[in-house]
Amino acid sequence: MSKNLSELAGRKGKGLTNNLFERMGKLAEESGAPSVEDLDKLADEFLIGTANTYGTTTFYDFLKPENKGKKVYVCNGSTCLTAGTQDKLKKDLSQHFSEEEIGHMCCLGRCHENASFHYDGKNYSAKSTDEIEALIKGDKSQNKDNYAVNSYGNKILTLDFPGVDAYYKVFADILKRDSAQVLEDIKTSGIRGRGGAGFPMGLKLEFCRKVENETKFIVCNADEGDPGAFSDRYLLEERPHSVLFGMLVSGFVTHAAHGVLYIRGEYPESVDIVHQAIQELRDAKLIGSNILGSGFNFEFKVIKAQGSYICGEETALINSIEGQRPEVRVRPPYPAVQGLFNKPTVVNNVETLATLHYILSNGGAAYKAFGTEKSTGTKLLSLDGKFNKPGIYEVEMGTPLSTVVNELGEGFSVPCKALHIGGPLGGLVPVSKIDDLQISFESFSDNGFLLGHAGIIGIPEDYPMVAYLEHLFKFGADESCGKCFPCRLGTTRAHEMLNKAQNEGYKIDRTLFDDLLHTLEIGSLCAHGGGLPLPVRNALQYFDEELKAYFSN
Amino acid sequence: MDKIAYIDNKPFVMKKDETIISFIRRYYGKDSVPTLCDAPNLDPFGACRVCSVDVAMNKEGKTKTVASCHTPLAEGMHIYPNSKNVKRLRKNIIELVLTDHPLDCLTCEVNGNCELQDVAASVGIRKVRYPEGANHLDRQKDNSHPYMVSDLSKCINCYRCVRACDEVQGELVLNMAGRGFDSRIIKGADVSFFESDCVSCGACAQACPTSAISDAFESKSVKQAEVTRTVCTYCGVGCNLDVSVVSGEILSIQAPYDAEVNQGHTCLKGRFAFKFYDHPERLRSPLIKRNGEFEEVSWEEAYDYIANKLTSYKEKFGADSIAGISSSRCTNEENYLMQKFIRAVIGTNNIDGCARVCHSPTALGMQRTFGTGAATNSIKDLKYTDCIMVIGANPTDAHPVTGAKLKQHAMSGKMTIVIDPRRTEIARYADHHLALRPGTNVAVLNMMIYYIIEAGLADMTFIENRTEGYEDYLKEIQALDIDKMESVSGVDRNDVKAAAIAYASAPNAMSFHGLGVTEHSQGTFTVMQIADLALLTGNIGRRGVGVNPLRGQNNVQGSADMGVQPHQGAGYMDITKPDVIKKYEEFYGCKLPGHVGYKIPEMFDAALEGKLKAIWIIGEDVVQTDPNTKKVIKALESTDLVVVQELFMTETAKYADVVLPGASFLEKSGTFTNGERRVQQVNKVVEPVGNTKPDGQIIVDIMNKMGYKQADYTAEGTLSEVAQIVPFFEGIVWEELGKNGKQWPVAKDGTDTEILHTVDFKRGKGKFEFHDFKETEELVQHSEKYPYILTTNRELEHYNCGAMTRRTSNVEILTEDVLLIHPEDALENGIADSDMVCVESPRGKVDIKAKVTDEVKKGVLSTTFHFPEIMVNIITSDVHDTEALCPEYKVVAVKIRKSKGKYKLEQNQ
Repeated sequence: MSKNLSELAGRKGKGLTNNLFERMGKLAEESGAPSVEDLDKLADEFLIGTANTYGTTTFYDFLKPENKGKKVYVCNGSTCLTAGTQDKLKKDLSQHFSEEEIGHMCCLGRCHENASFHYDGKNYSAKSTDEIEALIKGDKSQNKDNYAVNSYGNKILTLDFPGVDAYYKVFADILKRDSAQVLEDIKTSGIRGRGGAGFPMGLKLEFCRKVENETKFIVCNADEGDPGAFSDRYLLEERPHSVLFGMLVSGFVTHAAHGVLYIRGEYPESVDIVHQAIQELRDAKLIGSNILGSGFNFEFKVIKAQGSYICGEETALINSIEGQRPEVRVRPPYPAVQGLFNKPTVVNNVETLATLHYILSNGGAAYKAFGTEKSTGTKLLSLDGKFNKPGIYEVEMGTPLSTVVNELGEGFSVPCKALHIGGPLGGLVPVSKIDDLQISFESFSDNGFLLGHAGIIGIPEDYPMVAYLEHLFKFGADESCGKCFPCRLGTTRAHEMLNKAQNEGYKIDRTLFDDLLHTLEIGSLCAHGGGLPLPVRNALQYFDEELKAYFSN
Repeated sequence: MDKIAYIDNKPFVMKKDETIISFIRRYYGKDSVPTLCDAPNLDPFGACRVCSVDVAMNKEGKTKTVASCHTPLAEGMHIYPNSKNVKRLRKNIIELVLTDHPLDCLTCEVNGNCELQDVAASVGIRKVRYPEGANHLDRQKDNSHPYMVSDLSKCINCYRCVRACDEVQGELVLNMAGRGFDSRIIKGADVSFFESDCVSCGACAQACPTSAISDAFESKSVKQAEVTRTVCTYCGVGCNLDVSVVSGEILSIQAPYDAEVNQGHTCLKGRFAFKFYDHPERLRSPLIKRNGEFEEVSWEEAYDYIANKLTSYKEKFGADSIAGISSSRCTNEENYLMQKFIRAVIGTNNIDGCARVCHSPTALGMQRTFGTGAATNSIKDLKYTDCIMVIGANPTDAHPVTGAKLKQHAMSGKMTIVIDPRRTEIARYADHHLALRPGTNVAVLNMMIYYIIEAGLADMTFIENRTEGYEDYLKEIQALDIDKMESVSGVDRNDVKAAAIAYASAPNAMSFHGLGVTEHSQGTFTVMQIADLALLTGNIGRRGVGVNPLRGQNNVQGSADMGVQPHQGAGYMDITKPDVIKKYEEFYGCKLPGHVGYKIPEMFDAALEGKLKAIWIIGEDVVQTDPNTKKVIKALESTDLVVVQELFMTETAKYADVVLPGASFLEKSGTFTNGERRVQQVNKVVEPVGNTKPDGQIIVDIMNKMGYKQADYTAEGTLSEVAQIVPFFEGIVWEELGKNGKQWPVAKDGTDTEILHTVDFKRGKGKFEFHDFKETEELVQHSEKYPYILTTNRELEHYNCGAMTRRTSNVEILTEDVLLIHPEDALENGIADSDMVCVESPRGKVDIKAKVTDEVKKGVLSTTFHFPEIMVNIITSDVHDTEALCPEYKVVAVKIRKSKGKYKLEQNQ
């Protein structure tokens, strides 16, 4: 990160109003990548170097020069991959597009149907060759998708939305309360971050509240990049007000007046729907200056991301909004002290923010009454297409995993040997361990797995584990920001070894492989490199029989 | 109570806000923790992870591996810097690095001086176990630039270069492009060094741990070089330089990290522009002009020739028929000797220096207000200030290292005010840029003072306790005609008011000024106003405040300190006062004159009047750089004996009767005093080339030749003589100057002074003195016929007349003087970019190539005088500061027209 670049991008009249990153996106709209001349002018306007604007744009899938001329993007996320739908999809698409016009996106959040692709600003799942043909000819009606939404136990996040007036009634009450008390309610609830790390939200808000600064930011991390997870997409598209409400309240308790929703470019529908929801708030005079006469000011800004998994890491995300290369920052300084544009910033995940409406409508204690002691409340789970009933499920923390698999998901649609839970950095749970696990942070970590974002992908029995590991490292290498040495080099070398082992008869040295995993685990700057070894170690433990042929010892 | 943390279970005392790495290194030395991405002058970055250590919160407790460079130390922390776990990690990271790094160490520039090599050796890599995979070994070298070189096949992606370009220089030329394994360093939009906006400071090359970025001199190679630390000659910042010498020849220059002035940084002049020193055109022998031709002569012959002539003039026409111009490029000791020679041996006060044409109004103005004509604070104070005000200075070009620090301040969003007709680099980043019409500083500053008082922001406590003259001053200010000031300056009053309030409201505000303040008919008054602003707001006498002139040449401060002024002797004592005369007479052991001598412009006038018979000029190209060239030439031609001490056959030397070849700063020892009063050691790096001598020794030789016993020139010896007569040098001893010098005044016990005027002013109270704006005579007389205003400035690549820098590869980077012209003016005159423009003033005309830019306002033109091919000073004016006689280079009435240009014509033929 560069403090200078943060400051320059955040100058008066720039910052969120004339946002550098957004400008880069605009420059790419026409041809897929900004021209050097335009980047030069943009750099001049922002008093930065052309190396900065150029260096940033080359980082992103949808801004880099190679993106020029791409017309259709095929999902290459883990579930579409293991579902085996994408080869046919590509073949179908190549009837209409040249090789150069077909790009990739990593996970469109259509993990329930697979065969997904992005075309002309919208996402689709190709149910048949004919449908693709109709789409290219202009029939965009297939854009809408359907998935099951259900709950097990009490509902918090999947409650019906009663309309803006009714929903925000509690907000009017909150504005009359002492913000310190509101914060206490949040702390009492025990709500922990749903993005993966599980950090107590109340503490995060408190850190930021304590820092004195005229300008503070609430950032919603809606860069749900974990292949297999689409629960944030559900909230953004079906319950957008739950997220906006959470941000408003976070702003109120931290004295922040700016909310930024950083939403994946792979979720174009989410971006549109959130914009609409913000307009509804504006119409209801629930945002702007002196909201409801309370003296509290708050404005929203939606930033559309440009294709990079690492932006889900909060400091990379902050760099991204600033138009810097989204490389992970060192901590300290923590974002709560020095975050977006060098100002105090709280970054929370979509689902975490969405809990606040319930907490503040019913009290922190009511929320805490759900779930387990260390994992309070409920959790959204995403079940992919390998289940008979894929979809979004809200379960109380502590619900047995077997209940999820067998009752909610109604079992596997194809025979599966493992579940990859919690994204690419989550654990690989062999089906034999399903009965040992409950949905909670502690149950997963005690058993050597990770709840993470709780996307659940079935790994079919016939899908080679070595190929899946290769895929994981390919993903890891593709999405590594490249800043820290272990991840930049290690993910590529691991991918190469697994590839050679399958294709060139190369036998992997176990000591070397273990050294590499150790280096990634303890040496990486962030959880990207640090987390990849977990599923790999799980695989080595539970699928040794299948994998040992690829090792020399 | 000291807080304790543990290294391998041993307790050590912690420092506040310390990282783990600095804690360990403080006790176990620099090499105790290996790292590849950390650097002494850069923020922690956490990329390489090689500095990782295990930490536990209790003895032998559960450990966690953290990168020590960015992890803060905590009380009671147990650190295990070399656990088995950590050793394994480090070794494996380096093994990974070597999978994408050429293993051609033996032929690599940095073999033996490579941080990767060192770390690899320390962690014990014997082989790379990975199968051959993708790599970046085929990246091409970039040799496009005269100095900067890159070979990114050697890059390990540590980002040090990117960070140096950002955090140190603030240039943002380098960045990473792409992502992950294929991310790579780029310059600009992936262009070559030469095509990029690189300012060649070399910070990236010095920061690079391998040879991925280096320079044309292969500065990082370790031939068996002898390294000498000395001080740069190229500006008043006073950067320390580590000069490497192999077999008597200078190989390269690096900037030492432990230098208080420049902390491992310097600019392209300091780092790269040293090859002038053994350039074939260096003067290598004394020359006497006979029948219009220079003949090589022996030193003895030259000395006899000069001594005879001087003695006879002295006898026939009196001592005042002789004058000397000393050089701010020379050492303090040499300047002291020159003024002593002129005063004690010749017997006249006709001694002046090039400070006359740059900062003489600063010395005079600050003396009048404060009593001391020197920067009140230190550059270090930038760390403590909330607001900077840069007036008439373009430090990123003229004082690059301080300029980079000022730019960092501006970039970081801290309050920055710029008053300058041009949109300088710092002005781009400023909160307030008052782009005034050249010559109206006094109008704008008076408006600022007016608005500060109006807003009730005057610091009345400070004014009452520490100043005098405020009441009268207030009356004058309140009577100011704001309408008129606004209209003459061309700056909106609201902008002035906003800037004034910003300066006055900042808890600590520092001002910096340059020649855009002094080189005006009201130069001294402007300096006094800047000083008044500090008095008015109480911004004086503590950290992070003050009035800080950016001194031009390396030893401008020192030359004045040493008495190179016609009215003050060594140590600024008034040479007309009987007690002072007595003091000097006793010290020099001879009779001294008691009347003030000629300032430089008066010397030329005297010459034209036939009163000056001999002039002795050291290291100043008056023909190229003093205003009104034709007049200067005529003056030299009218003088019987012109002695010039020089490195090269400059435009001035061509008019000499005797040319004496001096030694460059790399060939002699002594001291320079930088712009913050820091007296630093200049150490001889190589022997003087050819038959050249240190300027000080030349003076000593002639003094002896003329019958005055003066000991040979040595840094130690001459400095100790200086310390006996200059009061504020009292405690200065050569051996005690150390690596970073001392800031005067230095007390007898050796204590030096970072901040002046903390309790009292030298003159007792600070003095308010009002002066109203007065239009320069140049415009009053000529603006009707010559409607444009030409202002002159400097470019980064060249130093003054360019005699040195034009004889280095800097000339490949900046090849000529150009004329900055506003697009509308260009259009109105049918001038396109790169057209030749005839610029004519009442004194003459020159042809300059146009550069159309909105850096200058409509009606204002700007150019430089680095190149003798143009000789811009043919057209500059004869108007001087009314008080200090500093020439008004900054306001020249001119008219323009498109011309074919004589040089262009020649090219076309």
